[in-house]
Amino acid sequence: MLKRLSVGHRLIGGLLLVGAIGTVSLIYAVLSEYGIPFSALLDPTMRDAASTELFDHVLIPLVVLILPMGLATTWVIRTAFEPLSKAARHIETAPTERGMQIDEADMPAEAKPFVRSINNLLHRLDTSAQQQADFASDVAHELRTPLAILSLELDRREGSDGDPLKAQVSAMRRLVDQLLLLAQIDADATMPMTPEPLDLETLAEDSVSSLAATVIAQGREIAIESEGQVPKIYGHREAIGAGIRNLIENAVRATPMGGTVTIISGPGAIIRVRDQGAGLSEEKLAQLIRRHQRADHASPHGAGLGLSITHRIMSAHNGHIRTSETLRELILDFRLQ
Amino acid sequence: MRILIIEDNRHLADLTAEGLTRRKFVCDCAYSAAEADLALGSAQYDALILDLGLPDGDGVHWIKKRRDAGLAVPVLMLTARSSLQQRVDGLDGGADDYVVKPVEADELAARIRALLRRPGARAAPVLEVGSLSYDTSAHRARYQGKAIDLSPRETSLLELLMREAGAVVRRSRIENALYSFRDEISPNAVDAAISRLRRRLEECGARNMLHTIKGLGYLLEDREAC
Repeated sequence: MLKRLSVGHRLIGGLLLVGAIGTVSLIYAVLSEYGIPFSALLDPTMRDAASTELFDHVLIPLVVLILPMGLATTWVIRTAFEPLSKAARHIETAPTERGMQIDEADMPAEAKPFVRSINNLLHRLDTSAQQQADFASDVAHELRTPLAILSLELDRREGSDGDPLKAQVSAMRRLVDQLLLLAQIDADATMPMTPEPLDLETLAEDSVSSLAATVIAQGREIAIESEGQVPKIYGHREAIGAGIRNLIENAVRATPMGGTVTIISGPGAIIRVRDQGAGLSEEKLAQLIRRHQRADHASPHGAGLGLSITHRIMSAHNGHIRTSETLRELILDFRLQ
Repeated sequence: MRILIIEDNRHLADLTAEGLTRRKFVCDCAYSAAEADLALGSAQYDALILDLGLPDGDGVHWIKKRRDAGLAVPVLMLTARSSLQQRVDGLDGGADDYVVKPVEADELAARIRALLRRPGARAAPVLEVGSLSYDTSAHRARYQGKAIDLSPRETSLLELLMREAGAVVRRSRIENALYSFRDEISPNAVDAAISRLRRRLEECGARNMLHTIKGLGYLLEDREAC
C-alpha cells in the first residue's frame, strides 16, 4: 500500500504492465503473421527460427521503447519534484523566521495550488502570532492605566494604612508584566522571531544593575561572579533578561535579611543564581513549574508563576532550568543550544 | 523644580501632579500635544514627563520635533507599553529615560531627581541625595548642612556617585572618570578610594548609603526613593 503512494513506483508499475501486455500482444501478432504455430516453440528443429523472429520483432522493439521511457520518466519525476524537496529543506533549515513564504515560481503547475495553500497557511500563522502579541500588549495597556491611577490614589492617603494595598498593586503590576511576557513567548512559539546573538554575561550584569537598588532596599546584598568563559547564545534579549530577573527576585525572597544573592556566569553557557535560603529540591521545582504551585521556597508573591514562565522561556531557547539543592542554586543552562 | 506633565488621561495627570507636588515639585499638566506646546511657550520647565499616546499625535513624534527645534530640557517618557522596540524608539526620539506604567510616585520622583542630577541639566548647581548635598561650582559636599572633608579624588568620586544615585555605577566607569592614562591603577585602587569615601561619610553620620555590588560596581542609595 505504502509503495503505491510514491509517484515513481506507480509509474514504473504502469510501465511494467504496459511492457507485459505489449510482450504478449507482440508475441501473438508475430506468431500469427509468420504462420508459426505455438507448438513450434517446443520443437527443437523449429525453435531457432522462431526465436530469431521473436527476438527481432518482440524483444528489440520492447527494449528500445521501454528502456528510454523508464529513464525519461525517472528523470521527469526527479526534476518535477526537486523544487518541492528544496522548499521542504528551506522550511526545515530556516524554522525561526516570521514572514516565510515558499517561492512558487519554480514549482510545476500541478503543485502550485498546493504550494499556494501552504503559503496562505504560513501567512495565517504569522497573522495569528502577531494578533496574539498585539492582543496581549493591548490588554496590558488597558490594565496599566487603572493600576497607575490606583497606585497614585493610594499614595494620597496619609499614614501607612495604604502600604499593604500598595504591595498588592505592585504584585499586580508584576503579574501583568509576567502575563504579557508569557503571551509574547506563546506568540513566538507559534511563529518565532529571528533570534539575535546574545552575551549572557552582559545580560546578567544588566539584570543585576536594574535590580540592585530594590534588592538593597529590601535589606539583602547582591553580587556577581564569573567562573569561566561564556560563549554567545542565540535568543531573545527581553525574554532571557526577564528569566534571569525572575530567578533573582525568587532568590531575594528565599534569602534572609542581611544575606547575599550571587549571580554566577559560566563556565559554558550557564547562569546560576545562588541564594541563602533552604535550597529547592528537584521535585519541588518540577512541582512549581508544573502547576504554578507555591513551595515553601517561595513567599506568596506569585513566585511559582515566575519560575514557570522562566521554564517556558528556557524551553523556547532549547535550554532548561535546574536546581541544586546543596549549592542552593537555580541554574539556567543553554549548553545544548 | 518645575515639571510639565503631558498626559491625555486627565485623572492620571492630575494624580501624578498631586503626588509630585507632595514631593516638593511644582507641576503643570498638559492634556494634549497642543497644550504642551502652549505651556512650553509660556514657562521655563526643568523636566518633562511625557505619555506616549496623545490625542493629537504620537509622543515620540512630538519629542523628536521639539528636540529638533532646540528643546534641551530632560524628558522622562511614561508609557503603558513595555516592548524593547518602543523603548529604543522613545530614547532615539530624544527621551532621557523611560518608565513603564504603573509607576509609584516615589519612584517617579526619584527618576526625575536622577534626570536633574545629570550633567547638562539646567537646574540645580547643588546636587541632593537624601541629606547629602554637593555644590557643583564650589566642589563642596555636605551632610545635613555639615561640610565633609574630602580629597579632590574622593570629591570627584562622590560627585559621580551622586549624579547616578539609585543606580549602579560600574567599576570601569569609575576608573575612567578618576584616573588618567598616566596614572598607574593598582587592581584595588577603586576599592581603596571607595572605602576611604565610605569612612568619611560614616564619620559625618551618613551610614549605609554607599553599597558595594561585588563584581559589578557601587551604588549610592537614594533613600527618599525607597
